[in-house]
Amino acid sequence: MSSGWVRMAAARDHAIRYGFIVLLFGLIAYFAIAADGFVSPQSAVFIFQSVAITGVLALGVTATLVVGGFDLSIGSVATSAMMAAAYVMVVLEQNAVVAIVACLLIGAVVGLINGWLIVYMRVPDLLATLGMMFLLVGLQRIPTEGRSIATGMTMPDGSVANGTFGRAFLALGRHRFDFFIPNLIPVSVVVLLVLAVLIWFFLEYTRFGRMMYAVGSNQRAAELAGAPVKAYKIWAYVISGVFASIGGILLAARLGRGDIASGNNLLLDAVAAALIGYAVLGAAKPNAFGTAVGAVFVGVLLQGLTMMNAPYYTQDFIKGVVLVVALVFTFALSGRGTR
Amino acid sequence: MGNDAVFRVDGLRKSFGPIEVLGGVSLDLHAGEVTVLMGANGAGKSTLVKIISGVYERGGGTMSLAGQNFAPKTPAEAIRAGVVTVHQNINDGVVADLDVATNLTLDRLSGSGAPTLFNPRRVRREAKAVANRMGLMIDLKARISDLSLADRQMVAIARAMAHQPKVLILDEPTSSLSSAEADRLFALLDWLREQGVAILYISHRMSDIRRLADRIVSMRDGVVSGVFDSKPLDYEGAVNAMLGRKIQLDRIVARNSARPVLTIDGLRIAEGSRPISLTLGDGEVVAITGLVGVGKTALAETLFGVRKPLSGTMVLNGKAYAPGSTGEAIAAGVFLVAKDRSENGIVGDFNIQENISLPFHKRMSRLGVLKRRVERATARRQIGELGIVCRSEKDEMSALSGGNQQKVMVARWMSQAARLFILDEPFQGVDISARRDIAAKLRASANGRATLLFVTELDEALETADRILVMSEQSIVGEHRNADIDLERLLAEVAGGPLHSAA
Amino acid sequence: MKITRRLLGKAALGLAGAALLMQVPAMAQDRPAPFDKPGAVKIALVRYLSTGDFFQAYLSGVEAQAKALGVDLRVLDSRQDAALQADMVDQAIALGVQGIIIQHGLTESMKEAAQRAVDAGIKVVAFDVNVENPKIPQIEQSDRDLARLALEQAIKDNGESWKAGYVYVAGIAPLDRRNETWVDFKKKYAGINEAAMFGTLDNPIANSVANQARSVLSANPDIKVMFAPYDEFAKGVKIAVDEAGLSQDIKIYSADISTSDIAAMREPDSAWAATAATNPAVVGQVSVRALAQLLAGEDPGKNVIVPPTLITQKNLIDKDIKNMEDLSAKLPQFAHADVAMPAWMPNPNAK
Repeated sequence: MSSGWVRMAAARDHAIRYGFIVLLFGLIAYFAIAADGFVSPQSAVFIFQSVAITGVLALGVTATLVVGGFDLSIGSVATSAMMAAAYVMVVLEQNAVVAIVACLLIGAVVGLINGWLIVYMRVPDLLATLGMMFLLVGLQRIPTEGRSIATGMTMPDGSVANGTFGRAFLALGRHRFDFFIPNLIPVSVVVLLVLAVLIWFFLEYTRFGRMMYAVGSNQRAAELAGAPVKAYKIWAYVISGVFASIGGILLAARLGRGDIASGNNLLLDAVAAALIGYAVLGAAKPNAFGTAVGAVFVGVLLQGLTMMNAPYYTQDFIKGVVLVVALVFTFALSGRGTR
Repeated sequence: MGNDAVFRVDGLRKSFGPIEVLGGVSLDLHAGEVTVLMGANGAGKSTLVKIISGVYERGGGTMSLAGQNFAPKTPAEAIRAGVVTVHQNINDGVVADLDVATNLTLDRLSGSGAPTLFNPRRVRREAKAVANRMGLMIDLKARISDLSLADRQMVAIARAMAHQPKVLILDEPTSSLSSAEADRLFALLDWLREQGVAILYISHRMSDIRRLADRIVSMRDGVVSGVFDSKPLDYEGAVNAMLGRKIQLDRIVARNSARPVLTIDGLRIAEGSRPISLTLGDGEVVAITGLVGVGKTALAETLFGVRKPLSGTMVLNGKAYAPGSTGEAIAAGVFLVAKDRSENGIVGDFNIQENISLPFHKRMSRLGVLKRRVERATARRQIGELGIVCRSEKDEMSALSGGNQQKVMVARWMSQAARLFILDEPFQGVDISARRDIAAKLRASANGRATLLFVTELDEALETADRILVMSEQSIVGEHRNADIDLERLLAEVAGGPLHSAA
Repeated sequence: MKITRRLLGKAALGLAGAALLMQVPAMAQDRPAPFDKPGAVKIALVRYLSTGDFFQAYLSGVEAQAKALGVDLRVLDSRQDAALQADMVDQAIALGVQGIIIQHGLTESMKEAAQRAVDAGIKVVAFDVNVENPKIPQIEQSDRDLARLALEQAIKDNGESWKAGYVYVAGIAPLDRRNETWVDFKKKYAGINEAAMFGTLDNPIANSVANQARSVLSANPDIKVMFAPYDEFAKGVKIAVDEAGLSQDIKIYSADISTSDIAAMREPDSAWAATAATNPAVVGQVSVRALAQLLAGEDPGKNVIVPPTLITQKNLIDKDIKNMEDLSAKLPQFAHADVAMPAWMPNPNAK
């Protein structure tokens, strides 16, 4: 009716669409002033590096969110893949390729089992993947009886494991590509960017991605439109599992050993990034671009806060605040939640 | 008469953004009277109801109840004041996971002064009292989710009546009821009318309106376009006021078809049912009618590969047809517009364009990448073909009226050529004009495929089909060419035995 | 001469036999009761923490000493469930054990359970948990000494004046004790300038700390010394230092040690200069020995402190130490502590 109303509505639309991006740039500007050395190519690269692993996991969990599911096992898949990589190289004394293949297989198999449990055994997604999480946290300890894996370690039977992390494998964590500045961009960042573009393209531009969104929004309608819904759901968990295992490979390459860990923090950070992603560009739904921005958002915050000597608990607090604000953006302002 | 109005609406206005939905609606409801509200989809009926029932805030105007100012801020406030609404979406009125008894007494469990402890025996006693008063014959221990839609509807109404309202609003209450069940509802409404309740009844069904109406109010484009209260009621005038044009009841010119598309032989869809055999021809529109629960949807789903027949064969285009999945059915050219669009059809997160392209991604993509230009062009073409009222193909589905949503569902499946086009209850929750648009489109485009409709409403079959088949107890029990129909016999077949009273 | 020879030979045989017997349970008769009869003593280890290399090694030490003593060991693991751990003490009482080692836990949950065990006439020792009971000796690895050894080495290597980064998470008892020493050192050496303090226990800890350390290093590229008094912290800092290309410019001092830590310290140009560590296996052995002393009626003392060892990068390279076994073999002070070691006590390390 009145032009004032239209202007207000448009302003609100803009706030919802660009609010989070503006917030991100505001944050960067603030840290640039407040923290010395925040603005530099190295610093930017580092932000990406610090979120590379959780970012890869977040992209995977985005796929399960798209089909209306959830994957709580990604953190433990990542740490299990890390243990597997270490076990293959250090104990079985195999090369990097074998280790990577083993990790990806683990991710795919865990994804298949998750999908099978959810689709055919009708276990609710949260419960099935929670079970898988516990299972993996335990399983990764069995081969070494709870020891972390490092070259020269003593095995339960008293023998010494003499294999080493292959140079090629460690390069995944340590090699840097030249990009204007020599030795600038680490492999993990390249992996993150490539996977982000891949999954973004897959979800937005392919018929498979589109159908995954349809499955997530109205499974029955998708089924009646001829989609093999069960297969799509299982595939989503396989994507999630494989991405998590890629995260685990990067983690192993960075740490250079196999650490016993539940990966719960990886899980929480990844889920936070994916949920923050709902708010980016007013998408109000899981989306790869948003997830990547969400991950970077968390990275910028942590980098800035750490540079300003903020203790770790304030960082958790602020992560939580960002997540809550993002969810408010998504559900209240865009009005999606009520429909 | 005008002075003893129990409930009065005066100059009610409402806008959503720049769009004015109600432009000053005035309406009186009188005690002991059924006022029927008619209006095409988008006329503003639902908005009016939602304002009265406290869901929406009004934009202007006044409402009064028994002389007092009435301005509910929440649905609960409206109910407490004595204005009770039974919404069209039945599942809004009941809690599916609880039993009937608890549903009937739900409001007493939560209001202030309710006892803290849940006493199943007391609940059942109170529920029984409510059920008896209403003549409700449903097992009080049954879970709502196990009940038929019709039974759920009865529970929802009974629950509303437990508040002993002064004003009762019913939004298309019979859209999912069989005629026997509708009769029960009408009897109940008669009784309520005698008790002095003012009833606002929203419906498209002429049979309901003829049966119940004391007054008819027609709405069009957000204003009242006609009030009819002198007996005998001018039904035709009410419809004309609602549509704003004279309706021509097109006489169907029934067609015959020589070339069979689908032949079904000895198909059994339920244990103990008689086998179904039929042939559908090219260019033919066939309607299968029957009461709720006689297996219409089961047959539609069997044809579409959702479920497997117990026995029998199907031949499509001269080849054996036994779809193992919906995907195979679609690949064979068999399309289904499923009933209950919000549950089985609409993808809520998708806009019009994405909803239309949903089943045909494969045909619209290369190397798995969707060709968005093709998708958009298809959507625009279909929007034009079916006359879908929207701003653009990017509109959200929730922004559309029910009739337009249904047109999108039909447009989806008409965007590609079908061999067998099945529509299950395509006119459910659709206003008359949209229904006529869809029916005309179906008939106009019928060549090159067989068209099969499943409808409960006989009117819909008569308006649309060349041939009408009657279904009862999971089987086909009668066949009529839509030219010289023996209505008596048809109704008898629908009722599955002795002649049925309701028309 | 002949006779002498024969005599000598006999004597030699006898000596050899005696030496052999030293190692076999037959010698058990020489030990005080109840250790004179092998298998007569039953003890329980009630654990709060069990996952991770440290706890694995601790358990192996307990097992080794128990085996050497010929006692029957039951391991009850509550896996960080405080209430369960208390219940497990009662379980152990019901099992009829004579001695209990409480390994970690919370004072609040364990105080009464420990008292119940004492009341039942059972001897109890506690490792790294204060159960506030005068009858229960405390086994401790001296966290203050750990920090002191590492920091003394830092002063020795870098002088008394440097800019430092410090990794610390408050509220974790051993880290709090190590922190006290750091605070003292900062007071003592005014030249130590703490430019940044950070830390997190988000797991994998090394990965999370590496992320933080990278941020700290980009904010403070002139840091010379990183004090990371927990090896997971040190690993994270080392990753960050390597990634920032500063491994020549920064030295890391830490506490605790593991096989993978040794590998990290031995890397060419490794920034990880030194660590101070108590061998968790030795702590395990000492725990059992202190309990054995109690059972034999001896007093191990109120606080049984296991002294730490300083391990420098130079040590590891010079002695070609590659893993924990090498460390035990080539740094004897690491393999064995002369604590709670009466003459009758068998040494599990003796071969």
